Amino acid sequence: MVRPALWLLFAGATLAAADERLDITGAVDARWVHSDSAPSFLDGGRGILRFDAGHDGLRLGRAFASLKYRLTDTVSLHAVADAYGDRQGNAVDFSEFWLDIKPFPTSALRWRARIGAFYLPVSFENRGPGWTSVYSVTPSALNTWIGDELRTVGAEVEARWLGASSGYAGDLSFVAAAYGWNDPAGAVLAFRGFALTDRPSTLRGGLGTPRVELYHEIDGRPGYYAGLGWRHGERLELRTLYYDNRADAAAEAGNHYAWLTRFVSAGARFEPSPHWTFIAQHLDGYTVVDDEDAASPFRMNFRTQFMLGSFERGRERFSLRYDRYRTHHLTGFYFGPPSNQDGHAWTLGWTHRFSDQWELAAEHIEGTSRFPPRASFGLQARQAESQSQLAVRYRFDASL
Amino acid sequence: MGRRGLAILLSGFIAAAGAADAADMSIVVLDRHNRPVPEVAVTLSAADGHVLAPMRPAAEAVMAQNHRAFIPALLVVGTRTAVSFPNNDMVSHQVYSFSKAKRFQLPLYKGRPKSPVLFDNEGLVVLGCNIHDEMVGYIFVTDAPRFGKTDAEGRVEFRSLPAGEYSLSAWGPFIADSPESLKRVLHLEAQGEATEQVKLSRPLRSRPSPSPGREKWDY
Repeated sequence: MVRPALWLLFAGATLAAADERLDITGAVDARWVHSDSAPSFLDGGRGILRFDAGHDGLRLGRAFASLKYRLTDTVSLHAVADAYGDRQGNAVDFSEFWLDIKPFPTSALRWRARIGAFYLPVSFENRGPGWTSVYSVTPSALNTWIGDELRTVGAEVEARWLGASSGYAGDLSFVAAAYGWNDPAGAVLAFRGFALTDRPSTLRGGLGTPRVELYHEIDGRPGYYAGLGWRHGERLELRTLYYDNRADAAAEAGNHYAWLTRFVSAGARFEPSPHWTFIAQHLDGYTVVDDEDAASPFRMNFRTQFMLGSFERGRERFSLRYDRYRTHHLTGFYFGPPSNQDGHAWTLGWTHRFSDQWELAAEHIEGTSRFPPRASFGLQARQAESQSQLAVRYRFDASL
Repeated sequence: MGRRGLAILLSGFIAAAGAADAADMSIVVLDRHNRPVPEVAVTLSAADGHVLAPMRPAAEAVMAQNHRAFIPALLVVGTRTAVSFPNNDMVSHQVYSFSKAKRFQLPLYKGRPKSPVLFDNEGLVVLGCNIHDEMVGYIFVTDAPRFGKTDAEGRVEFRSLPAGEYSLSAWGPFIADSPESLKRVLHLEAQGEATEQVKLSRPLRSRPSPSPGREKWDY
C-alpha cells in the first residue's frame, strides 16, 4: 500500500520540478541562552525579554519554513509556518498566509496587491525570510510589538512610481489596506508594555501567559492603514504609515475586548556605503478600551524609537542598537497599578556567515525599565534585565 | 603581365591606400575631477556624408543577473541584436521593460531563459525586475555604424576610420549632464591617431552595487 503512494508522490515531485512552481526557504535556529531577566511575559511575568532566568540553557530559537507557490507568472501564494518549541499555541502554526498579485508594469506606475494575513510594512529590520531581522537576533522594541500584535488580515494595495524609467534611481510608493481581525491589538502593550523578543505571534497561537488571544474580529468594523514611501537609489529609504484599527472600544465578544488602537510610524534606512547601514524608526500612538462598569475608559499613550548602526564586511556583521520606549496610562485605572512604562535597552550583535547554509549569531541585550504593574508579581517596578544568546542557524532552500 | 595581373596590382594599391587613409580614434570620458567614467555608451556617425560601413553585429549579447543586480549595468548593442538574460542567483527574477524601444516581459525564471530577446528598435531600454524593484539595468540600442562602451579607464577605441567629419555622442546611466551637452563634431585626419576627451561638468549619480548574501532579503 505504501509503495504506490510513494511512487505517486515521486511522480508528482518530478512533474512539478519541470517548471519549479514552489520555492521553500527555511531555517532552524538553536541557541544557548543566559538571562538574568525577571519572569518573561511569555511565562506569566512582566519581564521585557524573551528568555528569563528560569529559561537558561539550550533552546529552540525558531524553526520555520517560508513557502512561495507560483500560481501564474504574476500571482503567487505565500505561507510561513513556525515552530518555537515553547508550548505557546500549536506546535506548528502559520504566521503569514497571503496571495500576492503583482502584474508586470506597463508604465512607470506599478500596482501590487496582497490578500490574506501578513505583516504591516513598518519594519526596516525584518528583511530576512520569515520576517527575521537581518541585523540582530532580536528586533527593536518597536518591531517586536509590530510582530506581537499586528497583522494585516485583509487586503493591501500598493502603487509604486518606478523612477528608473525617467532616469531617477528611486521609487515613490503609496500603500493602503483594509483589514479585520485586529481588534485585540493594544492589549499586550497595555498588560506588558514594550518588550524585545524575536518571537512574533502566529495567527492562531495567541501570546503570553495567560494567553492573550489575538486576531479576532469583535465589532465588525474594518480597520485601515495608509502609508508613503520614498527610495532614493540604494542609499536611502524613508517610510511612514498611519494605522487605525477603528475598533469600537466598548465592544466585546465573550472574553474578547476590542481595543481602539491608532499610531503613526516613520522610519529611515541610510546606507552610505555597501558596508554601513543606519536605521532609525519612531512610533507614536494610543490605545483605548472601554468597560461599562468602569468610571472612565482605559486609555494609554505609547511611544518608542530606536537607532541602529550596522557594519558588514565579508562574512561578519556587527550591530549596535539603542531602544527607548514609554507608555503613559491616562485614564481607567481598573487593571491595577498604572501601565506607565519607561525604559531603554542596548543591543550588541555579531553574526558570522560560514556559508549560504550555516550561520552563527551572538547577541547581548541590556535593558532597564520601570513598570509599576510588576508590583502585582512582588517585584520592584524598576528592573535591570540582560540576556546573552549564541545561536547556530541552518538555512535551507529548495525549489520543486 | 596580363590584364588579370594588373587588376590584382591595382586592387592591392587601392587596399594599401585605404589602409594608409585610415585612422584610429580614442574617446575618453572623464568626470569633474578628471577620473575616468566607465559604463558610458559612445556612438560615432559620419557627419559629412561619407559612408561608414556598419560594424558586424554581435551574434548574441548577454545581460546577466548576479546578486540581485544586472551585470553589466549597461549593455550597448547594435539594432537587431539578440540579448539573453541568464539568472545566476538562487532566487527567481522576472525581467521586464516598458520602454518605447522594446516592451517585453520574461516569465519568472532561474538559470537561462529558453530564448533570447531581439532588440530591433533604436533607443534606450530600461530593464526592471518585477520581484526586486531596486534592480535596474540599461540596454542602449543604436543604429550608429560605430559604437562602444567605456572601460575601467573611461576609454573607447574606434579603429580604421576613414578621414572625415564625425559626430560623437555619449550617454551613461550615472551621468547627470544632458546628452546634448556631450555631443561633439570631430575632424579626423588621415593616418592620424586622435584622442577626444569628453569631460562632465556635473557630479555622477550614485550607482548601485551588488550585495552578496542579500539575495533572500525583502523576500
